Amino acid sequence: MQDLLTGNVASCLYWMGRYLERCEASLIEVSRAFDIIIDVNVNEGVILYEKLDEHITYNGASDFLDVAIFGDHGGNLLKVIMAARENAIISRTQLETEAFGSIIKLARFMQDTSKNQTKIDCTFINEALSLTSETWGKLDQRQNRHRADYFIRLGRLVEKVDFKLRLEDDKNFALIVMDEIDTIVQILAPHVTSKDHTNSSKAELIVSINNKIDKIIN
Amino acid sequence: MLKSENAIKEEFWKIFSSQDRQKIKDFRKHMDNFAVNFNLYKDGNFIERSLPFDVIPRIIEKQEFQKIQQGLEQRILALNAFLQDLYTDEKIVKQGLIPREFILQAKGYVKEMRGFTPPKKVRTHINGIDLVKDTKNDEWVILEDNLRVPSGASYPLSIRDKYRKVYPEYFSKLKINPIKQYSSYLKNALDYVNCGGINVVLTPGRFNSAYYEHSYLARIMGAQLVRADELVVIDKKVYFKNYDGQKILVGSIYRRLDDDFLDPKFFEPESLIGVPYLVEAYLAGNVAILNSIGNGVADDKGIYYFVPQMIEYYLGEKPLMRNAPTYLPYFEKDMRYIEEHIDKLVIKDVAEAGGYGVLFGHTMSSIQLEDLKTLIKVNPRRFIAQELIEFYDEECYINDELTPRKADFRAYVVMAEDVKVWECGLTRYAIDAGNYLVNSSQGGGFKDTWVVEL
Repeated sequence: MQDLLTGNVASCLYWMGRYLERCEASLIEVSRAFDIIIDVNVNEGVILYEKLDEHITYNGASDFLDVAIFGDHGGNLLKVIMAARENAIISRTQLETEAFGSIIKLARFMQDTSKNQTKIDCTFINEALSLTSETWGKLDQRQNRHRADYFIRLGRLVEKVDFKLRLEDDKNFALIVMDEIDTIVQILAPHVTSKDHTNSSKAELIVSINNKIDKIIN
Repeated sequence: MLKSENAIKEEFWKIFSSQDRQKIKDFRKHMDNFAVNFNLYKDGNFIERSLPFDVIPRIIEKQEFQKIQQGLEQRILALNAFLQDLYTDEKIVKQGLIPREFILQAKGYVKEMRGFTPPKKVRTHINGIDLVKDTKNDEWVILEDNLRVPSGASYPLSIRDKYRKVYPEYFSKLKINPIKQYSSYLKNALDYVNCGGINVVLTPGRFNSAYYEHSYLARIMGAQLVRADELVVIDKKVYFKNYDGQKILVGSIYRRLDDDFLDPKFFEPESLIGVPYLVEAYLAGNVAILNSIGNGVADDKGIYYFVPQMIEYYLGEKPLMRNAPTYLPYFEKDMRYIEEHIDKLVIKDVAEAGGYGVLFGHTMSSIQLEDLKTLIKVNPRRFIAQELIEFYDEECYINDELTPRKADFRAYVVMAEDVKVWECGLTRYAIDAGNYLVNSSQGGGFKDTWVVEL
């Protein structure tokens, strides 16, 4: 396994993993909320974004998609994917060419769509999700595991825990993922000790994860 | 043009005309996904820009290319010998071949390097030599030597990588020389002078125009890409700062920034992209820096004039390739010639690069020409004058049609134990018809260069 990585590149790989996961998880949640807004509960989008500490307003299901994906709020997915792209550019030397290319392709797709005058629809969500899956697939294709891959994986898992805790308060899911996080932490920084989180609160869990990341990336 | 080269081109066009044009659009899209960028700063703003490229390669017949290889190998050996001499014995100056004043006024001359010899006496490790093919004599002419931080090699490497996969027909029907060996040339150059430790590529960072190239080259040669703050000098040794706090000794640095910014303790104190005390480590012999500090004196446009003489002086050989006819206003005879023929000459400011500071006499008004003459007289060392060389156009596929554009060629020459001239290079074409400036910073594009055997 390749061992050398600067702190900056390690951090970029980690954040790239987080932003990609945030993009994918958000797309799935937006798609689910869109389905409900159509004919069950028009406020489902508001409820979803309140859990993410964002307040949004929209006029119906189609408008919800536009607002959720490209609206002026912290969960704007174009900003999320552009942040993933930026981190990929900086850490490019550690990525397989095809994996890097698929991140650029996804970002370009989002950018081009944002410039179109027409409203987006569910085919956009499907296409974006498909490109995100393609990106994860390409990132997983490397034959020999590099240290870089663990940083990406770590980012993805941390984001999974964070996102899940915000939306569902599902601590059991978080604990399962924490086990995998601890395994990666042991590989990347054997000096960092893991702690039993069974009795930790949601806030304690997030603090514990952040402390670990701070210890790994100097 | 050689008959054999014509035969190869005919074969190329036969395959090209049988191709579906839609494939070209797909190919461009494919390239876009790999962010092959050459970024620009315009009005103080950073603009991320894909480098325009053309799908029609320049084709050079192998025999013809071998002549270029021999000429450039000779030239780099002479330039390396010149730099070694200039910073140690100064024989060429003492014997009066180059006026001392000329050296002292060269912007790239670093007097603090006097008496210092870099590892294995190699100074010109990775070089880019700009050439054009003159239509008058049908021969390649050298326009410029770039011995500091020549960029561009990653672009033909990137396009070739995709081209082979999208258009395998060309590569099975024509004997096109492979080009992937460039990564091993670079690695050998770094390994050869390595003072013990890892190899790194030092980049000014994400917002440098050639950042794409820095990351690409670091990747293919297996070196770490680092910014200045990711290196530290302790006791005159350079260390790479690993994410876990470990410090790893660095033996070779392929730097992608100019001397002035390399070390704020030695050069420009305001530089935020340099490594403090790096030059101390270099002078102590603990790390190799590629290319060597102070090389700028040898690729000064004024010093270019003397390269044919250097070849004879250091190697005892006649130059195998010729310079563009050049005049130095510093010499009275040349000044007179410039005054008489200024409307037909190309005037270059020696301190400028990237296509800036180039004036074409035939495009200037008589008032402008008079002003220029005055400027040259006041500061003769600042300018050189060259005959305008009519160089060949290359066919380009622009806006769905074939159209000719002026194109030059940058050859890459890498020096380690021996000198290697890469069997490829960067063909740059002007963005507008009739324009002679092909530089990327002037909006020019690039195309692949195929060295083909009959």
